[in-house]
Amino acid sequence: MSLSDRVTVDRSRLSAWLERHALQLTALVTAAILVVMLYVPVGVVFVNAVLEEGGLTLGHFADVLTDPFYFGAVADVFADPLAIGTHLGSLAAWLGAVSITLSLEYPLPGIGLPVPWLAVETPGVRTGLFGFTAYQAALSTVASVALGLPAAYVLANYEFYGRRTLRSLTILPFVLPGIMVAVGFYAMFGRGGTLNSILGVVGFGPFAFIETYPLAIVILAHAFYNAPLVARLTVAAWESVDVRTVETARSLGASKRRAFRDVVVPQLAPAVLTGALLTFIFTFMTFPIVLALGGLQLATVEVWIYDRIQRLEYAEAATLAILETILSLGLTYAYLRYESAQAGFSQAASRPAREPLYPDFRTALSPRRLAIFAYGIIALVVFVGPMVSLVIGSVTDGSGLTLRNYAFLLERQLEGASFQTLPLPAIRNSLLFGAATLVIAVPMGVVLSVLTVRAGRSGTVIDTLGMLPLAVSGVVFGIGLLQGLVFGISLPGGWRLQVTGAIAIVIAHAVAAYPFVTRNVSPLLANLDPAMVESARALGASRLRALLDIELPLVANGIVAGAAFAFAISIGEFSSTVILASGSESYTMPVAVERYLGRRSGPAIAMGTLLLIVTAASFVVIDRVGGRSEL
Amino acid sequence: MNRRTFVGAIGGGAVLGGAGCLTQDGDSDDADDGTLTVVTYESMIDEESAAGPWLKDAFEDEHPDVELEWELLPDQGINYYIERADQDMAIDADVYLGLNVDDLVSIDDNLADGGLFQALDGDRLDRADRVRSDLDMGDPHDRVLPYDTGYISLVYDETEVDEPETFDDLIDPEYENALLAQNAQRSDPGQAFLLWTIDAFGEDGYLDYWQDLDDNGIRILDDWTESYSGAYMEEERPMVVSYSTDQVFANEFGYDFARHQVAFLSDQGYANPEGMGIFDDATNADLAYDFFDFVLSNAAQAEIAQRNVQFPAVEDEYVDLDEEFDEYAHVPPETVSLGYDQLQGNLDRWVDDWAREFASQ
Repeated sequence: MSLSDRVTVDRSRLSAWLERHALQLTALVTAAILVVMLYVPVGVVFVNAVLEEGGLTLGHFADVLTDPFYFGAVADVFADPLAIGTHLGSLAAWLGAVSITLSLEYPLPGIGLPVPWLAVETPGVRTGLFGFTAYQAALSTVASVALGLPAAYVLANYEFYGRRTLRSLTILPFVLPGIMVAVGFYAMFGRGGTLNSILGVVGFGPFAFIETYPLAIVILAHAFYNAPLVARLTVAAWESVDVRTVETARSLGASKRRAFRDVVVPQLAPAVLTGALLTFIFTFMTFPIVLALGGLQLATVEVWIYDRIQRLEYAEAATLAILETILSLGLTYAYLRYESAQAGFSQAASRPAREPLYPDFRTALSPRRLAIFAYGIIALVVFVGPMVSLVIGSVTDGSGLTLRNYAFLLERQLEGASFQTLPLPAIRNSLLFGAATLVIAVPMGVVLSVLTVRAGRSGTVIDTLGMLPLAVSGVVFGIGLLQGLVFGISLPGGWRLQVTGAIAIVIAHAVAAYPFVTRNVSPLLANLDPAMVESARALGASRLRALLDIELPLVANGIVAGAAFAFAISIGEFSSTVILASGSESYTMPVAVERYLGRRSGPAIAMGTLLLIVTAASFVVIDRVGGRSEL
Repeated sequence: MNRRTFVGAIGGGAVLGGAGCLTQDGDSDDADDGTLTVVTYESMIDEESAAGPWLKDAFEDEHPDVELEWELLPDQGINYYIERADQDMAIDADVYLGLNVDDLVSIDDNLADGGLFQALDGDRLDRADRVRSDLDMGDPHDRVLPYDTGYISLVYDETEVDEPETFDDLIDPEYENALLAQNAQRSDPGQAFLLWTIDAFGEDGYLDYWQDLDDNGIRILDDWTESYSGAYMEEERPMVVSYSTDQVFANEFGYDFARHQVAFLSDQGYANPEGMGIFDDATNADLAYDFFDFVLSNAAQAEIAQRNVQFPAVEDEYVDLDEEFDEYAHVPPETVSLGYDQLQGNLDRWVDDWAREFASQ
């Protein structure tokens, strides 16, 4: 056997070995990344919750759980859990004092529109910071689903000019830094904002929307971020519906409505619930948008975690953050138990045909089309309004139109010193990191899906723990990255392992992004008929071969949807980027926005506009160039 | 994604996953090489008219053998350095530009008393006596030298409300739902306004006063940008806690002066002086002293004030400001500020009690 033959044999052996073990290898790499970039940084901070002067303690948990400021009325129960009689007594007294009334109210100031109003009068009960945080998160979830589902319905079922572009652009709210969302919301809904200017033209207003309903505006801002999330998840699932199952139901005599309810809804439900779950978790840990729009009265747990970290009170911060994480992971586990019980027998995605949205004038006046039109106006106000108002803000000042803010960006790019933040490197880094994040996050997310989706209860546990990046306080993760990775981990002999700079940023982004891939892919994967993979295996295909040739093509919609999120997460990520990029030239667009923010917000808003334009352009371009799957 | 890219991605992930960097303690460059490394906050470097680039050029012109290197303050602010010192890690920078009195308090709460920065030696400074005495932060360890100050005041719309003259005016029904302020946990002007009320009502009375403010509908937003660039500029309310230099911007960007009136409550403004200090580990202390003298020179004081839109830290005779700046940047008749002694051991508790009062559900 000649040398080259032997090399060929070795190579084919190696590739055969790789093919057999590819899944395990990817899982190993995923685990290694998670240990270094997630478990160590988070652990470094979390451990403070159970340490007291070198010893172990549960005292910090006891302090927090029994503090009415954090847990309201429940704190008494934590303080003395065995006094059941007392607790039941106070609950009965409270229930006895509840009164319910029905009346007509006029909720819109200045408009005589009567609305039947069911008022539930409850005697004041102290909810505590956790109670209020959960309350506003629940409302935000309802609002996000309510605003997201119609969008998914329209995008998945109707054909109209610009549909693909519109669908690509639904990613935009995701990448906008919190401060820009706040400024955009003021510019849209403020008393001197865009909406009031428009209403003024037709003789209404001005209305003090934000002043009158601060909580409603905060919830709307949460929906601004999360309704597109719900919509994108649901559209991907809708397009993976096996339309033949609907046809079968119809041929067996089911009405259109019945077929939808019994065949389509069960295939969509996991995606909708995933969207709702993620929305709840995100808005439970919301920061700083609540304080930016709603004020300190609407403070959430995360606001206090930030403050405790700022004052170097790590024990209390870690305790609060662990409680947040336990709650988020508990919900995730409950949901994943449900998801894994939904295994289906779908064999192929054959997407339903899309109807034209506007076939002729008569159809356009049908109730359904009118409802879609009405939704379009709401979407225009809630989603497009703040972004357009932001863009307008970047080209105006007290004396009218100005290009000064863009002139600043240009001048900074051309003449900026090396120690200053320049626009082009920020754009370049954002795009590079986004692409690199994709390359890491997609295999990470897919492998987690594949390994957990049919693995029963243990799979659910691993899957739940895999969602940790979404369930950990961003503030805590940031400080953990600083202490664990930027400062470095002490090793024997005075050595330190430090992880910073571009590579660390990309991996941190991948860690934040892979759960989106998993959550997009898992429901679709669970929905596939396992017999297909078993047949392929019986015919001699390796596990990897079966995955690549059979399963992945069938869940391509989910992978593409997850990849789009991964890219967007990377583009929009701020809190860990700013820590890992410190002292280097690896800053990204959101970091540049923050750095340009001074006493004048114009330059930062111009940079924020650039961020929107670059993101929009990349999504539209990828969509046009990319294959059959849509972003 | 086709399957080759998928497999390639797995390999790529493995390569990237192994990246990291091993260093041995004491690796930093300790040589006195004529480079002065100065840490400062973002707007000193990155704002449109930032003073940082000017300071670097002018200082290097004066000292041709010296290089001034700006280092951007990490996101955690002074805590970054407190943590490093706490873990006995080296700090490479020589000078910190942008030190507040609450930073000093926080240092001493978490490190050894008088930690992180060197005690300044007055004999090595030529211009230290130019600094106004009312800006003294009262540090018992003499670690800080002020270089500029801002004054917290109210900015109001004279077409909607009359000029508020006292703290009691703010709880008058005439000013119901009129005032915007900032969260003292997170915001410098927010904390300054809180401390101002503590100066006015004492630590036993300030919470009652804030209860009255709450009853009169004050809104406490996150930070200055949200409350000013967001809420105030979109006409949500006619009054906001802000800086007394407000009209400099109104003049520059053509905003209506009616909406940019400055009010000093009880003829006072709360001073927030910013200072500079030399790190304990600094390798270039001599250069740092040269830099401090330079920062206090006439030219640098004027440039810093006008570019940062703040006020000089030196007495009037040592600085010449443009007439236009003088006209629009208002100085309060009397300044208030709480010094180190008052804040030490109290600040965290004051802010905490206040915040819990407001966020209570």
